[in-house]
Amino acid sequence: MGDDGIARDNPRRSAIKQVASGRFGVTIHYLASADEIQIKMAQGAKPGEGGELPGRKVDDTIARVRHSTPGVGLISPPPHHDIYSIEDLAQLIHDLKNANPKARISVKLVSEIGVGTVAAGVAKAHADHILVSGHDGGTGASPLTSVKHAGLPWELGVAEAHQTLVLNDLRSRVVLQTDGQLKTGRDVVIAALLGAEEYGFSTAPLITLGCIMMRKCHLNTCPVGVATQDPELRKKFTGQPEHVVNYLFMVAEHARQLMAKLGFTSVDEMIGRVDLLEVNDAIVHWKAQGLDLSPMLMPAQAPRPGVEVYCTQKQDHGLDESLDNRLIELALPAIERGEAVSAAMPIRNINRTVGTMLSYELAKVRDESEPLDDDTIHFRFHGSAGQSFGAWLARGVTLELEGDANDYVGKGLSGGKVIVYPDRKATFVASENVIVGNVALYGATSGEAYFRGRGAERFAVRNSGAHAVVEGVGDHACEYMTGGRVVVLGPTGRNFAAGMSGGIAYVWDVGGGFASRCNLEMVALQKITEPHERHEVRRMIQRHYDYTGSEVARRVLDTWDFAVQQFVRVMPEDYARVLRERAAKEEAAKLAERGVA
Amino acid sequence: MGKPTGFMEIARRTVPYADAKKRLQTWDEFLEAADETLLRQQGARCMDCGVPFCQSDTGCPVDNLIPEWNDLVYRGQWREALDRLHKTNNFPEFTGRVCPAPCEGACVLGIHEPPVTIKNLEQTIIDRGFEEGWVVPLPPTQETGKKVAIVGSGPAGLAAAQQLRRVGHDVTVYEREDAIGGLLTYGIPNMKLDKRVVERRLDQMRAEGVKFVTGVEIGKDLTLERLRAENDAVLLAIGATRPRDLPIPGRELRGIHFAMELLTENTRTVVKTSSARTNGKPGWHTVPEDAAKAPIHCGGKRVLVIGGGDTGTDCIGTAMRHGCTAIVNFELMERPPAERASNNPWPEWPRIFRVDYGHQEAAAVFGDDPRQFGILTKRFLDDGKGNVKGVETIRVRFAGGKLEEIPGTEEIFEADLIFLAMGFLGPESTAVESLERDARSNVQAEYGRFVTSTEGVFAGDRGGEGCRLRDRRVLDG
Repeated sequence: MGDDGIARDNPRRSAIKQVASGRFGVTIHYLASADEIQIKMAQGAKPGEGGELPGRKVDDTIARVRHSTPGVGLISPPPHHDIYSIEDLAQLIHDLKNANPKARISVKLVSEIGVGTVAAGVAKAHADHILVSGHDGGTGASPLTSVKHAGLPWELGVAEAHQTLVLNDLRSRVVLQTDGQLKTGRDVVIAALLGAEEYGFSTAPLITLGCIMMRKCHLNTCPVGVATQDPELRKKFTGQPEHVVNYLFMVAEHARQLMAKLGFTSVDEMIGRVDLLEVNDAIVHWKAQGLDLSPMLMPAQAPRPGVEVYCTQKQDHGLDESLDNRLIELALPAIERGEAVSAAMPIRNINRTVGTMLSYELAKVRDESEPLDDDTIHFRFHGSAGQSFGAWLARGVTLELEGDANDYVGKGLSGGKVIVYPDRKATFVASENVIVGNVALYGATSGEAYFRGRGAERFAVRNSGAHAVVEGVGDHACEYMTGGRVVVLGPTGRNFAAGMSGGIAYVWDVGGGFASRCNLEMVALQKITEPHERHEVRRMIQRHYDYTGSEVARRVLDTWDFAVQQFVRVMPEDYARVLRERAAKEEAAKLAERGVA
Repeated sequence: MGKPTGFMEIARRTVPYADAKKRLQTWDEFLEAADETLLRQQGARCMDCGVPFCQSDTGCPVDNLIPEWNDLVYRGQWREALDRLHKTNNFPEFTGRVCPAPCEGACVLGIHEPPVTIKNLEQTIIDRGFEEGWVVPLPPTQETGKKVAIVGSGPAGLAAAQQLRRVGHDVTVYEREDAIGGLLTYGIPNMKLDKRVVERRLDQMRAEGVKFVTGVEIGKDLTLERLRAENDAVLLAIGATRPRDLPIPGRELRGIHFAMELLTENTRTVVKTSSARTNGKPGWHTVPEDAAKAPIHCGGKRVLVIGGGDTGTDCIGTAMRHGCTAIVNFELMERPPAERASNNPWPEWPRIFRVDYGHQEAAAVFGDDPRQFGILTKRFLDDGKGNVKGVETIRVRFAGGKLEEIPGTEEIFEADLIFLAMGFLGPESTAVESLERDARSNVQAEYGRFVTSTEGVFAGDRGGEGCRLRDRRVLDG
């Protein structure tokens, strides 16, 4: 993931951008420069497992791309924290479509029993594209146990997905792709006959480029320079684009020959023609006896004659009803000329993913390195916002909401500012009530957020750069966080800071019971002692007060010298070590410079 | 792979040969004693590849568990390394000395860097095992009551004998020569494979209960039919000893010999003389004079070796120790490139220009590499008294896969002794007359089962490293 700021029109960029559970480096610019955005629900070779990038592989470039700290290992959570149901997936598809309306939204599934039902749900959730991935993928860093014992062959998954989609008349709305050790034209033809119309290759082209399947990708010692950050080893890479081109031409030629034998003139005609496949009786392996493959080879059109069996129409994503169409219109002077714009309007919970398409328009015209000034575009809303308010909000955009918001506020925040405070006429105590829903600031990379009120569960999960102030959080706050700052001016739920490897959280622990609710596996709890750090925290709280008029903030600021003693500083130990090492290195460099002088 | 970055930090260093001029003063092995620190470092260069090509089709023919023992050497666990090595290889002390090491040609590190010194490590593991007394007889715990006769005592016959004996068969090995070992004993010169190394392994096998019979040639002294009748199974491990001839004018002249006539008799003489001098143990502290009574002696002669393979090199090394006054070596093929050609990619065996021990020694004494590439011998020249005095040659090149003579490149090379080392064609026929054979005179046996046309008679492949594993299959069959 991550593209190191390669511009959207540069051919070196990745055309297909993946959005995995870690959301590392998934910014609005990353999404806006994609032709296809793929939600990686799982990987064929290691379904159900999160990825892990060991600290020694996270060099400066990787850390920049992934918005994390060099030397600190990165852990992807096994689940997507914004997907707990098929409706959540539909929401994420909608969010991503807003983040790039031109891109095809793909969902990557693994071949397994029941993938057909999942695929039908995904099609209903408006995915443009479904990938069914087989277990044979050669991922070089997967644990051997997963490589050997997890997942199923793509053939089973494709057959089931295609059958279910056709039976429910959903097949015409999605493109079905498969991958997982496709190597030959024969594989392509079989995949087509089973129901796939796109075919993914990765191990085989990698081999043509010189990969020798060392399975050392995680050690940074790839001796042929394919999967390593070591500049010396990378010099050994001898692959040329022509090698891949040659290989794929040969695959295509092989497929064409087989098609000619079968009497087909186009791939579309082949899709789902399982009647042309037959079981090879000559396989005498004892494990293969007793296998009945006839359900796989059941033509899906038989019970549903007349139904389209490959993608013939586009999904309706409902973007034309989006509030952002109006926001973009209002913000044109800012988008085109960088002029300040502000407006106020009501909002309702049918207005989902507000500010995201606007951010896409900004990302299209401005490079990441030349953002708008903060607050150039300032919209004020009144009411209850729908899901994903301010998702992937770009720098220069401020969304101010009087009322409350649903789940996923500020998801993927990309430099924008989100401010939420209760209705001025509300009679309840703001700091005692939840004002933003679950999983706020998930995968945020930069920007600021101020919530006068409490966040719900999993606040700032996988945050890697946003600065946020909130007046209380539910369970699992700051889980898997790798960067940024979070100030909590109130109570927390259980399991705070689980898997947190970077960034710092400050918790105003008035009652003194925080330590028992914090997951201490990776973090250490301290007081804030450094004057500059105290100053920084105070400044964040001051801003919170300025933006939201928070009474809690007022109280803390009024009694600062006393209150600051009650703050607990939650700091990942690995992160502290890297910061210490970096400081020592800088100190040494300074000394050396002086020595030379 | 104890050290993931070993290959990036440590350069390849092989166990060196002794100084060329010094080693010409003896028939002892030319490899110097190995330094443990060096070897352990070299073991650290192994990358424990996800796909270890050193063990693949183009790598080790006996499927040695190379990355495993490389790592064990790096960790200094020599005993464990020996156990892993013996799992796939009965005689690593032979392969570690004379194998051409396709494993190193297929080593993944060899794509961009010099490969791991696998052959050195193999030899050191087993030599150390013998030194430490870890190599002990492993006699069977139970006798099967089955009798097996093995014809031929080369590496294939010996490996089969050891495996069959260890599972409890009554094994007798028949050898037509006066000593057991075949190629190991009388084929490979002592400086490449010291006969003490063969002897200590034979001691182990004797202690395990393998019976050896020397001086008996099957088909001459004893018929195959009788052998078959007296045993439950017979294994033919007779090797390919029929040399390729050079039937050109003058072939009948005196002074033209097959390479093996020189090598076999020379080794026999050296072993006999040095044994008589030293405790009856063969090969102890040899000197060139140990070969003085060899039937063919190159001392004071101009020598020509036709054929640029390992046998040719052994002829050069032998002639040099005899004290020849000049030496030339012909190779039909053109000089191979210094690095892999584009049609010879990794992990194939690299067809590159190599300098072997014999070439070094000739160069050290006479100043030049003795080899002539791309050269064809047209006829042998007569000195008028029936002795050879040289050869007439012409340069050749390969064009479109065909040999093509280059007009105007005729030359005369003078020589008093000429050795033909142009490869071997198949088994000699005495033992196998009654069996069906293929077009190349090899005994017909289905690959993988090795059953010949006579029931109960099995054929091992021609001698060499590749045979051990195949022989185990023979046993199962």
